[in-house]
Amino acid sequence: MIEMSHVSKTYERRDGTPVAALRDVSFSIGAGEFVTVRGPSGSGKSSLLNILGCLDTPSEGTYLLAGEDVSRYSDKERSSVRCRRIGFVFQSFNLLPRTTALENVEIPMVYSGDRVDRAKASAILRRVGLAERAGHFATELSGGEQQRVAIARALMNDPPLLLADEPTGNLDSVAGASIMQLLSDLHQEGRTIVLVTHDEQVASHASRELLLRDGMLVSDRQQALIHATP
Amino acid sequence: MTSNQAFALALRTLSRNRLRTFFMMLGLTVGIGSLTALSSVGESTKQETMRRFKRMVGTFDTVIVRPGAGRTRGMPSLTTVEPSLKFDDAQAMATEVPSVRRVAEVQNAFDIDVKYRDKTASPSVFGVSSNWTDLRDDEVAQGSEITDADIQGLARVAVIGADVKANLFGDEDPIGKTFRIADVPFQIQGVLASRGAGPGGGSLDNLVLIPVTTASKRLFNRDFLTMVIAQLKDPEQGDRAVEEITALLRERHHIVPPAQDDFTITNPRAAMARVTEVGSTLSKVLTGVAAMATVIGGVVIMSLMLIAVSERRTEIGVRRSVGASRTDIMIQFLLEAVTVSALGGIAGIAIGAGGTTVATMIQQLPPAIVWSAIGSAVLLSLAIGLVFGLQPAWKASNVDPIKALRS
Repeated sequence: MIEMSHVSKTYERRDGTPVAALRDVSFSIGAGEFVTVRGPSGSGKSSLLNILGCLDTPSEGTYLLAGEDVSRYSDKERSSVRCRRIGFVFQSFNLLPRTTALENVEIPMVYSGDRVDRAKASAILRRVGLAERAGHFATELSGGEQQRVAIARALMNDPPLLLADEPTGNLDSVAGASIMQLLSDLHQEGRTIVLVTHDEQVASHASRELLLRDGMLVSDRQQALIHATP
Repeated sequence: MTSNQAFALALRTLSRNRLRTFFMMLGLTVGIGSLTALSSVGESTKQETMRRFKRMVGTFDTVIVRPGAGRTRGMPSLTTVEPSLKFDDAQAMATEVPSVRRVAEVQNAFDIDVKYRDKTASPSVFGVSSNWTDLRDDEVAQGSEITDADIQGLARVAVIGADVKANLFGDEDPIGKTFRIADVPFQIQGVLASRGAGPGGGSLDNLVLIPVTTASKRLFNRDFLTMVIAQLKDPEQGDRAVEEITALLRERHHIVPPAQDDFTITNPRAAMARVTEVGSTLSKVLTGVAAMATVIGGVVIMSLMLIAVSERRTEIGVRRSVGASRTDIMIQFLLEAVTVSALGGIAGIAIGAGGTTVATMIQQLPPAIVWSAIGSAVLLSLAIGLVFGLQPAWKASNVDPIKALRS
């Protein structure tokens, strides 16, 4: 599913000095894996996630997503890849205000070129347990509910890959646990999930952990699924 | 995104931010409304002026020759004109100028006392040829017009205008009655249909027509004309006719350069073009102000859109993350700007056209909804939205989704 080879990312500071966010990172992730990316802040987790999500391109190296070399794609081509293959879940939910839960979920559909399928959006909301909240505005929902809507939105175009950036970072432990349960369930249904976190508790949901430090991949280990649903 | 979806999205965004949308529309509504009203009122006034001008002149296939070099204002009369234009000159125009079909001879005077029993009036008296009603496009509402026999017989007969009939006769039937023009008795044989008001607003019905020969020999005792109306064979040939008549009269009057003409020729068609093309300075200034309001409306749209782009960075980031390309974002914001400017323009057109309709009804002008003006107002609003939406749309398309999603 994901094939990263020798990927580096260098930014320029305002004064022109280069900063290496990622250095020569190589790994691959198979379809259906649940992988966490951990590391202290500034270790390159976000840069890696942006490249994985086709929001950014590597300075060097190649990134194959489902066999396509997306590292040299144009903005339009990467937009299309994001639309069809990738669902994002953010720490701050990023729901649109003055827009209902259902309308938030429908947003990705208008960019897929299909007709907006309201029944499908309702079904996905039901899947994340928010059927009765469909008509509520984002601001009327609790944090946990907002994140569920965000996950439903990420699922709208049926992407094989879900990228989550600290999805429980803004939630209390109960809501966070239920979001992790939902992600685990989605993994069980066959989706590939890459989750960025620095919370070890959260990381323990995954079968594999990538550890970054100073832009380098320092550890890649398989682990037992201690929270997997039976 | 299909165009329907994009348009629906623009409408939804605008309706969710009603107050902002209202202010975005406001400037453009005022500007486009004023432009629509001004052009419609201008067109209405122009049409009314043309109508009155036509009413005064009668037909547009004529040129009018008057004695005297200066541009005397108003109608010529026996006391104010040079006695240089003779009956022979008129006949020569009819027979020798190729572009002229026929001429009407006119000898007129203002404020002549007329009396019927104990009633008096002071109409203009026109001694005219029998073809006058034809050339002037006058209609005889009652009785008969002046005939060739009247001209040849120096008959003391008259055709009176509607005002004279009203003043002297009231409801009485004037046909066959005898009245006095400057103490000379005339028998009334016809009444003209009313022409209404002229370009200056004065009545065109306060006149009496008598045979030109009678006027010359029995009433005024003068042998010159105050006006010759020459009908053209081809209405488009007004300029040529002016040249030919000028040449003929200069020769007949023995005028050699550098001496100036002792006559003046008016081409009504050209004169009307001048009258109607020159808008007043005031209306030009107002149009400029309205155009400025329209542009300011565009600037308001741009400013509010730019603010909206900053406020909507998260939305832009989310849309980008779920598959919107930079072009999609650009189109979305551009479409919002164009939609709001089109709505503002339509509101302006509605207000402008509505206001004009009310104003023309009050002023009793012909209603003039100028479709071309409305069409250009629509195009102008679309163009304003497009031009002033461009920068916000560009800014929106350049929002970095990574930063937008992190904030």
